[in-house]
Amino acid sequence: MRVGVQAFLMLAAMLFALGLYGVLSKKATVQILMSLELMAIAVNINLVAMSRFVTPRTMDGWFFAVFSMVDSAAEIGLGLALVLAVFKRSNHSEVSDLSELKG
Amino acid sequence: MNWLVAIPLLPAIAFVGLIFLPRTWRNRTLWLPVGAMFGSLALSFVAFARVWPGGDALTSVRWDHPWMLGVIAGHPISLSLQMDAITAVMLVVISFVGTCVQVYSLAYMSKDEREGWYFAVLSLFTSAMLTLVLADNLLLVFAMWEMMGLCSYLLIGFWYELEAPRRASQKAFLTTRVGDLGFLFALAVIYVQPQHTWDITLVLGSVHSWAPGVATAVACGLLLAAMGKSAQVPLHVWLPDAMAGPTPASALIHAATMVAAGVYLVARTIDIFRAAPAVLMATLIIGAITALVGGVLACVQHDVKKVLAYSTISQLGLMFMALGAGSVMGAMFHLVTHAFFKSLLFLGAGVIIHSAHTQDMREMGGLRKHMPITWATVLIGSLALAGVVPFSGFFSKDEIISSLLAAHQYWAVAVVLLASGLTAFYMTRMYFRVFEGPEQTEHLHEGSPLMLMPMVALATITTFLGFGSVAFATFLGERGEWPAIPLVLASTAVAATGIGIGWWFYGRRSVVVNTQAYKRLFRPVYRALQEKLYFDHMYDRVFIWPYMALANVLAVFDRSAIDGVVNGVAKGWMLFSDSAAAFDRLIIDGAVNGLATLTKKTGTLLRSLQTGKLQGYQRLVLSAVVLFMLYLVIYVVVKGA
Repeated sequence: MRVGVQAFLMLAAMLFALGLYGVLSKKATVQILMSLELMAIAVNINLVAMSRFVTPRTMDGWFFAVFSMVDSAAEIGLGLALVLAVFKRSNHSEVSDLSELKG
Repeated sequence: MNWLVAIPLLPAIAFVGLIFLPRTWRNRTLWLPVGAMFGSLALSFVAFARVWPGGDALTSVRWDHPWMLGVIAGHPISLSLQMDAITAVMLVVISFVGTCVQVYSLAYMSKDEREGWYFAVLSLFTSAMLTLVLADNLLLVFAMWEMMGLCSYLLIGFWYELEAPRRASQKAFLTTRVGDLGFLFALAVIYVQPQHTWDITLVLGSVHSWAPGVATAVACGLLLAAMGKSAQVPLHVWLPDAMAGPTPASALIHAATMVAAGVYLVARTIDIFRAAPAVLMATLIIGAITALVGGVLACVQHDVKKVLAYSTISQLGLMFMALGAGSVMGAMFHLVTHAFFKSLLFLGAGVIIHSAHTQDMREMGGLRKHMPITWATVLIGSLALAGVVPFSGFFSKDEIISSLLAAHQYWAVAVVLLASGLTAFYMTRMYFRVFEGPEQTEHLHEGSPLMLMPMVALATITTFLGFGSVAFATFLGERGEWPAIPLVLASTAVAATGIGIGWWFYGRRSVVVNTQAYKRLFRPVYRALQEKLYFDHMYDRVFIWPYMALANVLAVFDRSAIDGVVNGVAKGWMLFSDSAAAFDRLIIDGAVNGLATLTKKTGTLLRSLQTGKLQGYQRLVLSAVVLFMLYLVIYVVVKGA
């Protein structure tokens, strides 16, 4: 069977929705970061899929996906560093407790 | 520069020198004014000697500097000094009496802490009078006239801590000021004449070319001025009150300066008066009234200085009568003799007051034994004033009578004789009250030598001056004669009668006349005399009361109308500002506060969004994105459809 662009877009959308759900509902900061990764992966799948099916002759989407992955890696590194800093400070990393900026 | 300038300039320099010194130094530099006066006196004698053979002007000192003095309507004003026989006589009299008064004052005022100021004003006063007689220009005369008004004000009010001198000085200043209006009027009329000058020689020379009535107007103005300065009825009221000043200053005012200025002015401008016979007649009548009023009022005064003051008024009246008869010689000679014996009497009164510590004659008596020199000199002065034969007053009074006879004013002769009789009476009264009778005060003592020396000098002159009457007349360019025998007998009889009545009332040892009984007998007359013939009351009623009433009305008007308007405006303004404040509070502040409240409410509302929960924000963002996408989809669908 031939897999079309819609399948990839569906997969990406599902992954994005999963990630979004995770971001909005998880308490643990690490879980939220993982969900963010899911969303980023969904975006990368979209990029690669669009590149493959819409502009097969150029590799723009590929490269952009690679950049995006590197970016995600850096982002995760930074995010984990923040989590560690928060954990060091208050001995937990639940995002619901980080509410010092309440108005 | 002519040396004549130095005569008035020396005392003026003394004045300027004194006023810039601090008070203590001023009191220690009294040699300056006295020395200046002696200098003036010496120069006056020199000037007199230069004019002596008689007649015309000796020198003219002119300053023709129009750029200095100003130009009126294209005609430059030049001031000048001139010197003729009348001036020479006046110079000697003024500087002599001035010197006597200053020497006397050295002792009289020695205990006063403002002695230096007194001497400064005295110098300025003398200087002004000397300039006045030297001036050949009516403008300069007027300036000096006013200067003397100021000096008399300062001297009369010298003890300004006391109520009476203060009021007296104001009265003198204001009363003479009424006369000054006449002077100003005359000056204006003279200046609009074709020759446009105030130069006395030119003015007198052009009198005959004046339009009819002009001479009368000018003479009226000058007469009014002279009446104010020389204390003629009805402007005489200031002179008795002026006794509130220091006694030597009174001597100066009554003899050499001030009151002599009026007589001098009329004598100087007699040609204008001759061109206006009606005014000349008015001068005679005013002089007659003044002579009688002054003489009568002098009879009822108890204050020794006031007796002398009213006697001065009376004698000035005699001088005006002589002027009214057109006799400059008669007026001037009486002015001169009067200057000497009246200053002598005032200086004597000063010694008496110093010794008896009172001015009231009723509290004096028996002073003869304690102060022989004062007694002798005052007696000479009194006899001269009363017109007793060998003394100077006799000759000058006879001169006046002769001139009146020559003018055929026989009623005026009667007035002069009556006034002489009155003079003899009140001087006898004063003499007996002060020097004879029982002693009433203790510690009587003679005056100091500094006070007695000037008096002796004046008494000597008073004794012998009368014999110079013929020489005096020749000097003034008139023909002098010795008094006729019937005239001598008549005036001597009058004087003797006056003295006799005075003796009968006050002098007899054996019988003491009960004067109270006579006072009761002539009660209405006596009352009128005591009230100074109601002149002051009249001025009160005619001028002061209406003035006060007007002032009260104006004050009410001021309070109700002017203040009302001002207060009304203020109230209106307050009302306006109140409403403005309300507007400010309600509208402006309301807007500002309302905005603030609105902002605050909005802030409170919005702040509830800031939950601090990370995922809350994410949900918000998500819902916003969803809504936006929903909108996009719907938009696209609708648009697409």
